[in-house]
Amino acid sequence: MKTKRIVWRAAKTAAIFLISVLVLSLLVFVVSRLAPGDPLVAFYGERAEKLKPAERAAAEARLGLDQPILRQYALWLKGALRGEFGISYKYKMDVLEVIRARLPFTLRLGGIGFLLTFFLALGLGVLCARHEDKGLDRALCKIGTVTSCIPEFWMSLMLILIFAVSLRVLPSSGAYDVGKADDLGSRITHLILPLTVVVLGHLWYYAYMVRNKMLEEMRMDYVLLAKSKGLGRKKILYRHCLRNVLPSYLSIMAISVPHVLGGTYIVESVFSYPGLGTLSYESARYKDYNLLMVLCILSGALVIACNLLAQALSERIDPRMRAQEAIDTWEADTDG
Amino acid sequence: MDDFTLVGARPQAPLPAQKKVPWYRGKPVAAYLVLGLIVLGCLLWSAFSKTDAGYMDLSACNLAPSRSHLFGTDTMGRDIFAMIWSGGRLSLIIGVCSTLLSTLIAVFFGSLSGCAGERLGGLLTRVNEIFISIPNLLLIVLLQAILGQASVWSLSIVIGLTSWMSIAKVVRTEVRVLRGSEYVQAARCMGGSFLHILRVHLAPNFLPSILFMVIMNVRGAMLAESTLSFLGLGLPLEVVSWGSMLSLSEKALLTGSWWMIVIPGVFLVATLLSLTEIGNAIRRSLGHSQKIL
Repeated sequence: MKTKRIVWRAAKTAAIFLISVLVLSLLVFVVSRLAPGDPLVAFYGERAEKLKPAERAAAEARLGLDQPILRQYALWLKGALRGEFGISYKYKMDVLEVIRARLPFTLRLGGIGFLLTFFLALGLGVLCARHEDKGLDRALCKIGTVTSCIPEFWMSLMLILIFAVSLRVLPSSGAYDVGKADDLGSRITHLILPLTVVVLGHLWYYAYMVRNKMLEEMRMDYVLLAKSKGLGRKKILYRHCLRNVLPSYLSIMAISVPHVLGGTYIVESVFSYPGLGTLSYESARYKDYNLLMVLCILSGALVIACNLLAQALSERIDPRMRAQEAIDTWEADTDG
Repeated sequence: MDDFTLVGARPQAPLPAQKKVPWYRGKPVAAYLVLGLIVLGCLLWSAFSKTDAGYMDLSACNLAPSRSHLFGTDTMGRDIFAMIWSGGRLSLIIGVCSTLLSTLIAVFFGSLSGCAGERLGGLLTRVNEIFISIPNLLLIVLLQAILGQASVWSLSIVIGLTSWMSIAKVVRTEVRVLRGSEYVQAARCMGGSFLHILRVHLAPNFLPSILFMVIMNVRGAMLAESTLSFLGLGLPLEVVSWGSMLSLSEKALLTGSWWMIVIPGVFLVATLLSLTEIGNAIRRSLGHSQKIL
């Protein structure tokens, strides 16, 4: 009985996932083609302007751009199901190849950034809750408020200005020095500044969440009971309160994965870091449809998958709760 | 009654002298001051200044701050002092306009889904959740691409269209509580239309609780505008705003002209920070003790 239910639920989740991705792909397809701009420019560069009408029509026919939108979508879907997503108009390579070359960079930046955010936010939140309304807590909260008001791109610029232009200690762009692609040290030094921005951009939001949630827990009745039993403050804090906060923190962080990964978008373009962020920016700018489609679907699938994961997590932790409710209660605490 | 005194009652101790709470306690005076100065400066500048902020003096490119150019000039020879004030106006306009739009949408959507029955309300909530989970910037970029070349109004509309979701959620929860109250029921019994009830009974009650989010929305809109313009997807270079001023910063980095990056950014951050402080103060006055960014 139980296995049957699990299988049924997995099937349902998979179906939701597939349908959402399909709808998303249709939306992106139609929207990107409605947008003004000439995809031939991406393919032919400057020459596209000088094409004769007949050549132009031939070129469009070759790229399948002369069909009605829905027919184009059907053709695209047919290819996509076979794993063929077409070629990138700009790079003249298979879309998946282009993405494969860039993906590790974004995963490194976003992945390390996410892990750092995850642990630092937890630590900071607990630290603030421990020193509620004392100097440390107030100072950290003030710093957090100020940092949250600094746009990510400006923070990146300031860091470049300080560390790369004035002090000349860290590189300002790229992922490694020219010709040193295999040098680990060079890669790490190139990662420091972007990583700082990614982490600082998200850290405080989650740290505040943890802090507020911890404070709420510390006012619960069971804490009073534990105190009257004579348990130490530290023990109550870490053994009882933190344990109650952790599960919902996990599902919140699951939902935040796309936000942290997507947040690398701006940072990457300031630091000219060769990740997916700069790639999607380019593809939107130059109407590189095939590339844009796959990138949008990738990020959309990530969002959907993370939401489903969070839902599964919080259902597992507390069967009464759906993920969205978990988020609602967190946001009711923090957003007002 | 004054004839007899209670035996054994202690003479009333004089009340401790009440400490007079200064009027500024708990109020973000500095934030109001900074924001007021910036807003006033932008308004006065556009009212009284005769110099054109977009004027390019090619003989005075890339000058460091000095007496003739208080904040220096940019790589195109424009005076940054003039650009700050005239550009700030646009940034503020975009912030306010897009927030007006998004609040309007949020109020309608939220109260509609709050007043609707179980099924429709649930459906609208799902729609809201889907919109919330899409990374905002992606949506803005796509919408902006459809509208073509960005202008102040198109940017306001795009940002407004993409930032109403979280307010709508709060409106819905508030409305669901309010709609059960007697005065709303009475108004309905007397045949009050949806719009009438919304205007007279619902809105005055939930407006205070969304005020904080509305102010935060102004902040978010200004952030989005500056980021988009910086990336070259927002306002073009010749339309001066704080964001489009910063889009020159790649060049500024190469020449090491820090003033082109630092000065507009400081103004932007100061404005955003003041808005946050004011929003937080409003939140606190409503009785939320917890801190939030």
